Amino acid sequence: MPTSRHVLREKVAAYASALLDGAYEAGGQDAVLEVRDQAERVMRAARSNMDLSSALEDSSYTPEQRNGLARSVFAQCHPVLVDVLAVMAERGDFALLSRVWASYGEQLERKLNVTVVDVTTVVELDDHLREVIVRKAEADLGTKVVLREHIDKSLLGGILMSANGKRIDASVLSQLENARNVLKLSTDGGEC
Amino acid sequence: MKARAKEARHRIGLAVIGGVGATAAFPALAFASEGESGGISAILPDPLEFVPMLVIFIVLWAVLAKVGWPKFEAMLEKREETIKDSLEKSEQARIESERVLEEYKRQLEDAKAQAAQIVADAKKTGEAVKADITDKAQAEAATMIEKAHAAIEAEKKAAISDLQGSVADLSVAVASRLIGEDLSDEAHRKVIERYVNEAGSFNAN
Repeated sequence: MPTSRHVLREKVAAYASALLDGAYEAGGQDAVLEVRDQAERVMRAARSNMDLSSALEDSSYTPEQRNGLARSVFAQCHPVLVDVLAVMAERGDFALLSRVWASYGEQLERKLNVTVVDVTTVVELDDHLREVIVRKAEADLGTKVVLREHIDKSLLGGILMSANGKRIDASVLSQLENARNVLKLSTDGGEC
Repeated sequence: MKARAKEARHRIGLAVIGGVGATAAFPALAFASEGESGGISAILPDPLEFVPMLVIFIVLWAVLAKVGWPKFEAMLEKREETIKDSLEKSEQARIESERVLEEYKRQLEDAKAQAAQIVADAKKTGEAVKADITDKAQAEAATMIEKAHAAIEAEKKAAISDLQGSVADLSVAVASRLIGEDLSDEAHRKVIERYVNEAGSFNAN
């Protein structure tokens, strides 16, 4: 007898599979990656806007009202993503979006043998750096790698890479933080 | 007392017997005084006066011996008994007083011994209390010193930690500013490439 957790996992996988298959049929790997990026932005928007996420999950609204609300709010997104978000809101499953996004990444790697690596740096990457990073990531992950590049000046320097929930933080910011912690915690040589 | 009374009675009896005997032995002297007015007759008693007086004397002596003397003797005996009792009582009192005195002396000695023992005990107790108070005071002082040392050490460590934190924050801030301002894009890319080559694997996490 399936447990509620198992049912939930199946539901999340079904949403992610529908999203991935629809995006791939609509535009191939590029559409799949675009939908992934848009889903991530939607997820961040929902986290930062509690009124929006509450309204999309509010049971006092009818399923049709929630569906219409999702479609109107995310109208600028990929049609496949809009459809899936509308269905999730209609069924009261919008809170599962973060899990759907994670499952989407897993299915993307499994079905297309592609892993999306998010790369955050202070400056834009040039082709040489992209080649170096892709080579290293493919060697580590054993799949084809697609880089999603982000610029964040707060890193101060270095690079931050993440894929499938795994993370390599080689930023100057983290190294300075480590150095700060070491300096604060170390007492050797501090005796007067 | 009884002996003296008997002796006095004996002497009185001898005097009476002596007087009566002399009167009977020398009647001529009594009669001689009738013929001569001077000489020995001047000192000899007149028999006419002497005999009645003697009779009266004897009667008086007999009466006194019969009636007065036993009372006098009883009074003397009573007095003797009284004096004897008094002497015995005084002797008993003396013995009692000596016994009481000895008792008092013994009690005084005991009291002195007890007082000395109490003083010795008090002195001993005082010494023990003094030593106890001294030990406690020393222990408290040691504890206070230890706490003070611990507090000073904690303050010292806190101050050092604060100083280290300040130095670390300042160092990081200076390093951040230097890196952010001084590194060019090309330098950043070189740093990125070096970090990528030196960074660990995704599979390491």
